[in-house]
Amino acid sequence: MSTPTSTPTSTPTSTRTLETPPRVLPLYIRAAAPLIPGASLLPFLPGGGGQTPSMRLQLREARAEPDRLAAYSRVCGFTLGAHLPPTYPHVLAFPLHMALMADHAFPFGAVGVLHVANRIVQHRAIDALEPLAISAELTSLQPHPRGATFSFVSEASVDGELVWRETSTMLRLGARAPDGGRGRESEPGASSLGPGEGDGVGRGHPPSPVARWRIRADLGRRYAAVSGDCNPIHLHPLASRALGFASPIAHGMWTKARCLAHLQPRLPDAFAVEVRFKKPVVLPSSVELSVAFDGDAVRFLLSEPKREIVHLRGFVDEPARMAQADGGLG
Amino acid sequence: MIEKPRRVAIVGGNRIPFARSNGAYAHASNQDMLTTVLDGLTARFALDGERLGEVVGGAVLKHSRDRDLTRESVLGSRLSPETPAYDVQQACGTGLETAVLVANKIALGQIDSGIACGADTTSDAPIAINEDLRQILLDFNRQRSAAGRIRQLARIRPAQLAPAIPRNEEPRTGLSMGEHCAIMAADWGITRQEQDELAARSHRNLAAAYEKGFMDDLLSPYLGLERDQNLRPDSTVEALAKLKPVFGGRDGTMTAGNSTPLTDGASAVLMSSEEWAKERGLPVLAYLLDAETAAIDHVYRREGLLMAPVYGMPRLLERVGIGLEEFDLYEIHEAFAAQVLCTMKAWQDERFCRDRLGLDRALGILDSDRLNVHGGSLAAGHPFAATGGRILAGLAKALHERGSGRGVISICAAGGQGVLAVLESSGGAR
Repeated sequence: MSTPTSTPTSTPTSTRTLETPPRVLPLYIRAAAPLIPGASLLPFLPGGGGQTPSMRLQLREARAEPDRLAAYSRVCGFTLGAHLPPTYPHVLAFPLHMALMADHAFPFGAVGVLHVANRIVQHRAIDALEPLAISAELTSLQPHPRGATFSFVSEASVDGELVWRETSTMLRLGARAPDGGRGRESEPGASSLGPGEGDGVGRGHPPSPVARWRIRADLGRRYAAVSGDCNPIHLHPLASRALGFASPIAHGMWTKARCLAHLQPRLPDAFAVEVRFKKPVVLPSSVELSVAFDGDAVRFLLSEPKREIVHLRGFVDEPARMAQADGGLG
Repeated sequence: MIEKPRRVAIVGGNRIPFARSNGAYAHASNQDMLTTVLDGLTARFALDGERLGEVVGGAVLKHSRDRDLTRESVLGSRLSPETPAYDVQQACGTGLETAVLVANKIALGQIDSGIACGADTTSDAPIAINEDLRQILLDFNRQRSAAGRIRQLARIRPAQLAPAIPRNEEPRTGLSMGEHCAIMAADWGITRQEQDELAARSHRNLAAAYEKGFMDDLLSPYLGLERDQNLRPDSTVEALAKLKPVFGGRDGTMTAGNSTPLTDGASAVLMSSEEWAKERGLPVLAYLLDAETAAIDHVYRREGLLMAPVYGMPRLLERVGIGLEEFDLYEIHEAFAAQVLCTMKAWQDERFCRDRLGLDRALGILDSDRLNVHGGSLAAGHPFAATGGRILAGLAKALHERGSGRGVISICAAGGQGVLAVLESSGGAR
């Protein structure tokens, strides 16, 4: 974290402060509306613009609610302890992500947007019910061989002190960044995975797995209920088939949360964790986790049991070292 | 191998505030709470990644899936995964019994450090399938032919679909703990007034302990609670007198106010050899001198169910060579106000002590000003296996603050059992 408060977009950003989280369901409808041909011509619906809007949404106070936090912890495998799971502020920020994508200035519909990488930097342990100020904003579109990427940069602070920051990198298939080009394969915000490639949990032969999880067919619905992320691709075969999967796929953030739940007892209070979502977990499924500890750093990999399909590749390090590794990104 | 037993130090404790059943911890499991108190203790005494001799813990209301609950909690905590652990179950004696087990290994030099802990939830209760249905399903599984299986399935009746809910009753008498205690209260002629006074004092003492900061290093907030949810600082005898009896029929003396409520919570206590604590610069609050676990025959001799500590105390005192009246502090677990009062009455009753305890005179009169001075289970609540740890850490701290002195703990348990322990301040006996 070289510049924790830096603005990710180059254009001036307008901040809109909300007192309560926006309701997610109407946002889904608006964000999906560009599927209807011509709908994006309507001024209040997303689509049609060439660039992500430079807008920052802010939630003055959000806090985990005990019952919801307990349900989330149960689904992801976290202990319901004195501190918040490191992935939980994402759940608090998620309605803001949806509101940003449902904005009329957002260049395309939310359908077909894939979560490809996620970095979380936790600066200190967060008390389970601590009130947090949450903000989210968009980075500009970057070219990518399969479309264009952008990121949600979300932050959680307590009395102006930044305690948590997340960069969620999304790929919109087929979109074109305004400055053209096809871009590199490596997603922004994922370059610090570099040290792990090629050995241990890198691209070569991963170490033998440390855990196997049998994932039930209804996981998508269960995680949707506790996270508010009701993207139909996780809920029903009809929706997943439209995107080429015979059955619903697990939420990327569930796979990340599940891995962190396994690692959490061995993680310090302040750490950075980055994952790249490679291939989705099609439900139901059995997956295996491989972990390599290397000093303070941890590399991990989630794959199907034969390890021909890698679902997720992740890396944990000290916040400062991870920021250094990729030149201050995120 | 060591030549002679070592002194066992109590370093400190940590617990979460106790919550009323279906209150603040309605969705927390035993493992959640146990892991949380272990992590709190780890943070308090800088044990991150430390390999301890062992962690002994337990829960009274336990899911069948919670096999090795304590070991799983250790694995989910910041302690070294190389710390072994095992479970104990001895009703409300569980918590203190875990401390006795850890202490014995420390005394014998088998381990240098250990944690005694316990958790219980009455909210996240282990509901099981109906027993008849379970038998049918097992018979179904034993059948080899389709016809045999169908015959088994045909035995299922709609009423068997209702789950089996754990009940707070003695398996051999069919009476609840409260009903048993009501019989004892009637036998010993314990009045409603005495019970309500003890309950009000428990709340007053615990409230005062919070006010003067006594609880600050014994407890870590959890899920929005910073104090025990059951605590009513403004509790008075007059208000308690208005409650209707819940045990012992219409003329009963036991109410919801002078009986402990169903509670959720967890506690943990760090114990070690003196050298281990010294090497780490950790304090020694008190030493655990000796302990006694007793049981009585409540089934065939109709002994009062919760009277086992009464029988255990003279044996323990004989061993440590201290008279009952010589202690500076007493901790008697307030399962019910009536239980505490019956216990005290029995010890000062010459005939009972002679006929039943085999003594030549009464054991002694206990000074109630030295009893449960920082509140008891009536105020704090009583998450069964967590009560021992709450009392042990609290008494050790109180003895440390006094600078010298001795204290004794008495905890009654279901099944006609009881656990007792004697502590001495790290500053010595006097």
